[in-house]
Amino acid sequence: MTRQWALAPASRERLPTHPEPSSLVDILERVLDKGIVVAGDIRIDLLDIELLTIRLRLLIASVDRAKEMGIDWWEHDPTLSSGARDLAAENRQLRERIGALEAGRTAGPGSRSRRAEPAVKPATRSRTPSQ
Amino acid sequence: MHDAAAPTLAAREAIWVYAITHSRDQAGPDGLRGIGGGQVRTLHSGPLTAVVESLDPGRFSAEGIQSRLSDPAELGEIARRHHDVVVAVAADGPTLPFRLATVYLSDDRVRSLLSLRNDEFRRKLDWLAGRTECGIKAWADPDALFTQRGTAEQPARDPGSRPADGEPPGPADQSGAAYLFRRREELAARVERQRLAARCGQEIHTALERLAVGAHLHPTQDPRSDGEEGLMVLNAAYLVESALLAEFADSAQAVAAAAGALKVDVTGPWPAYSFADGPDA
Repeated sequence: MTRQWALAPASRERLPTHPEPSSLVDILERVLDKGIVVAGDIRIDLLDIELLTIRLRLLIASVDRAKEMGIDWWEHDPTLSSGARDLAAENRQLRERIGALEAGRTAGPGSRSRRAEPAVKPATRSRTPSQ
Repeated sequence: MHDAAAPTLAAREAIWVYAITHSRDQAGPDGLRGIGGGQVRTLHSGPLTAVVESLDPGRFSAEGIQSRLSDPAELGEIARRHHDVVVAVAADGPTLPFRLATVYLSDDRVRSLLSLRNDEFRRKLDWLAGRTECGIKAWADPDALFTQRGTAEQPARDPGSRPADGEPPGPADQSGAAYLFRRREELAARVERQRLAARCGQEIHTALERLAVGAHLHPTQDPRSDGEEGLMVLNAAYLVESALLAEFADSAQAVAAAAGALKVDVTGPWPAYSFADGPDA
């Protein structure tokens, strides 16, 4: 639920802002999506245009936002980014690790793949932004 | 409703409607050019006036308009011109903007719309008198929010997002389980950052809503469309008393700063696009 907050004097700072001519995105979201809707005599399929611009915006936004939130792991995941070179490297690392395990010891630092890093320490695991 | 078949349309007019206002004594929007490059003019019906433009019915048939609007460059140009006319009209008094591409086949059809919905339009115009739409966009850095208050206010995440057996895998189990464990931890932290970002926007909105006559949430925009940094956490429009616009903008800045926002943009004053549904919406 929304917390009841009071404005502390220190928080009365002004955030940066630049008044500028209305951006096209701001205009589009108003003239396409808002305003009085009256069925005129000529039927224009505005819904398609609306969807087009919104979809386009969402597509860009979601990729952008995902990266901003640190959700970029697929770029390193061989099953998703499917670079042949990555796969080869992953295979080699896996073979090395299997060899190490069969030799009755855990993988040493030299042969450790990205996925085999030590478990995150409980004390710090949720604080580190994963950029 | 008419079906706008192209052959019949070719012989007729195409009247593009921009907005409705109270009828006024002074002359209409003199010298104002519309989306088709033509003179913007007014049509009256009793106490109401429609601001319109006659378009070349050859160039602006249903198909013509549709294809123009489907071209991003033309869509942008038409949207801007439509907006410019509405802004000019709104400078003179309460104005009900029309959604883009409202087109009638004759002046009489527009006049009959004015008389048919006279009560509704007048009620909305009265409600908008002396008020203006103010746009507020706010951005936040989810990582910074997470650092500031992610762990201070409550346990880092709610119990539901995390299984009870939160023990990290032992050293002998370093391959798959360790990876999964780490991924789960990262995911939980991300969810928490998203939650904090959403709440930052919600806090700003809740505070501003109380200071406004009306409030409307727009979908948040692609951060890149304005070249901004950070995650957009609020994209909203507020209907405020015009006389209090400056104070409202100040409050928005203070409120956004208090909520931990990185940056806030105050846009407008806008014609009341987002409040064309009137007081009952």
